[in-house]
Amino acid sequence: MGLRKYFTLTRMGIIEALHYRLSLYVKIIGNLLYLILIYYLWKAIFHSAGTDVVNGMTFESTMVYLVLASALYGFMEMYVVWEIGRNIQKGDIVVYMLKPMEYRHYLFWELSGSLIVGFLTTVLPTFIVVAIVTHGTIPLGINLAYFVVSVALAMIINFQIDFMVGNICFFTESIWGINMMKQVIVLLLSGATIPIAFFPEAVKNVVNVLPFVAIYDSPLTILLNGNGDSAMVMEKLLIQLGWAVGLTILSHIFWKISVRQVTVNGG
Amino acid sequence: MENVIEIKGLTKEFKVLNRHEGIKGSFKDLFSRDYKIVKAVDDISMNVGQGEIVGYLGPNGAGKSTTIKMMTGVLEPSSGELIVNGRVPYKERKKNCEDIGVVFGQRSQLWWALPLVESFKLLKDIYQIPDKDYKDMLDIYGTMVDLDMLLHKPVRQMSLGQRTLSDILAAFLHNPKIVFLDEPTIGLDVSMKSKIRELILELNKKKNTTVILTTHDMGDVDALCRRIVIIDKGKKLYDNDIQHLRGFFGSYRTLKIRPKEEIKLAADELEKELKDLDIKVSISDDNEWINLLVNEDKIKVLDVLSKVQSLHDIRDMQLEEISTEEVIKKIYEGGI
Repeated sequence: MGLRKYFTLTRMGIIEALHYRLSLYVKIIGNLLYLILIYYLWKAIFHSAGTDVVNGMTFESTMVYLVLASALYGFMEMYVVWEIGRNIQKGDIVVYMLKPMEYRHYLFWELSGSLIVGFLTTVLPTFIVVAIVTHGTIPLGINLAYFVVSVALAMIINFQIDFMVGNICFFTESIWGINMMKQVIVLLLSGATIPIAFFPEAVKNVVNVLPFVAIYDSPLTILLNGNGDSAMVMEKLLIQLGWAVGLTILSHIFWKISVRQVTVNGG
Repeated sequence: MENVIEIKGLTKEFKVLNRHEGIKGSFKDLFSRDYKIVKAVDDISMNVGQGEIVGYLGPNGAGKSTTIKMMTGVLEPSSGELIVNGRVPYKERKKNCEDIGVVFGQRSQLWWALPLVESFKLLKDIYQIPDKDYKDMLDIYGTMVDLDMLLHKPVRQMSLGQRTLSDILAAFLHNPKIVFLDEPTIGLDVSMKSKIRELILELNKKKNTTVILTTHDMGDVDALCRRIVIIDKGKKLYDNDIQHLRGFFGSYRTLKIRPKEEIKLAADELEKELKDLDIKVSISDDNEWINLLVNEDKIKVLDVLSKVQSLHDIRDMQLEEISTEEVIKKIYEGGI
């Protein structure tokens, strides 16, 4: 009974995502172009390094990591920040505030629909192609189950960060610059563009205590090295869970403060 | 009649930064602590009973939307009491939302890309409407509008009129006790306007729903509201039936006459002749009629007519009630 309204939102998110089929195709094509770009970029990097193994990663494992990272990115970057910013600037936020449901729940569940579509149209095909092309670089075992759990947690962490950043718009009334900054920070510090292994030791130590690695690096590491090393998997999943819970609480507080701003000072 | 809305001494103040002009001024504003307090709503009191349709009027920027936002719980009042359905709206916003419906003429709550029926299904689940009530409501809608056509049309393909109609249906779907309509007929053509008015009236009758309507279209007011409340600059100016409104400035009627003489000349002469009687003489826009605005508390229209007839040859005459629009205009401009 209580959950039904959320699943209805998921369902509508799926229908809506499928409705914009052209945008789906374009997304897949754009992703392909990006993959070609990073292929040549990293080929050049490995070529100039002169060795087969750089920072403990071969060219092939780097490529697998980055291809999957870009698939994950294409699936998880839902432009929540834009959406919130637009709602606030146009004043449509009022419509959501007049529903007997929290705005963040509404957004999250609506989004979960497009995430499911995104998973089926980008992550899964990419995964299958990579698995076939590289003949077993990706171990197929219990790690797949861990991976799914890890991605679900990453989704929550990503959403809560986006939601909080979007909330800043209540105070600044503009979102463009803030969102650009957020995107760059997340892309760089999460492992989505450069594998974390390539970072200098000092930076790695800092990056590892930030929540961003839990979005892209953790699921990927679990997928690629998760078989047999269950201690590592459990540690990563627990850290992710910690971030998911912590950030959910934080974004809840953030929202309360933002709503107060609206109710006291007007939208 | 039970009150669904009780407002006493409601006030809302906004802190607004005093902005300065130019680039230098804009830089100054970055550090400025120079705030002024603006009273958007100032000491308003009123009660609204179950089933009433209240026209909430006022010029742009009068504080109408601010009041509505407070009643819906989106804004917190600065002071005063505000009870909606027995609750303080901003404290129990989510609970309050279950018993109200809101339509903003310029915003839509419907899912843009999907057929209307999907939005309805979502509302059904969000408001947890029982299957039977949902079906009954759709049956009622079916008797009022061409529901089948609307339900299966994606919202983005709808005309503005169809979309507004759908938004109103969506707002009534969970059978709320109060529906707030914020300029629902804005930008619509004449026939759609009347269709929407009929719909609102019928839903109000069938479900005994209280309707709070803000609008700038006096046609809406005449067609729907038995009671109107007028505010300006945050203060309440008028709160009574629409009949009393017409007599608010005395009972005015307009006597229109078409003289045989040259119209400009006749008007000038009439102005002199009727000077003592407190009658406003003007010429109509199409240059065909002389309008005499008569205050019937002071003199009967027929007396004026016979006086005019004794002085001039009249080809034609008409008698007009003063319209709501003119009264409201007088109230806005009068700024009591």
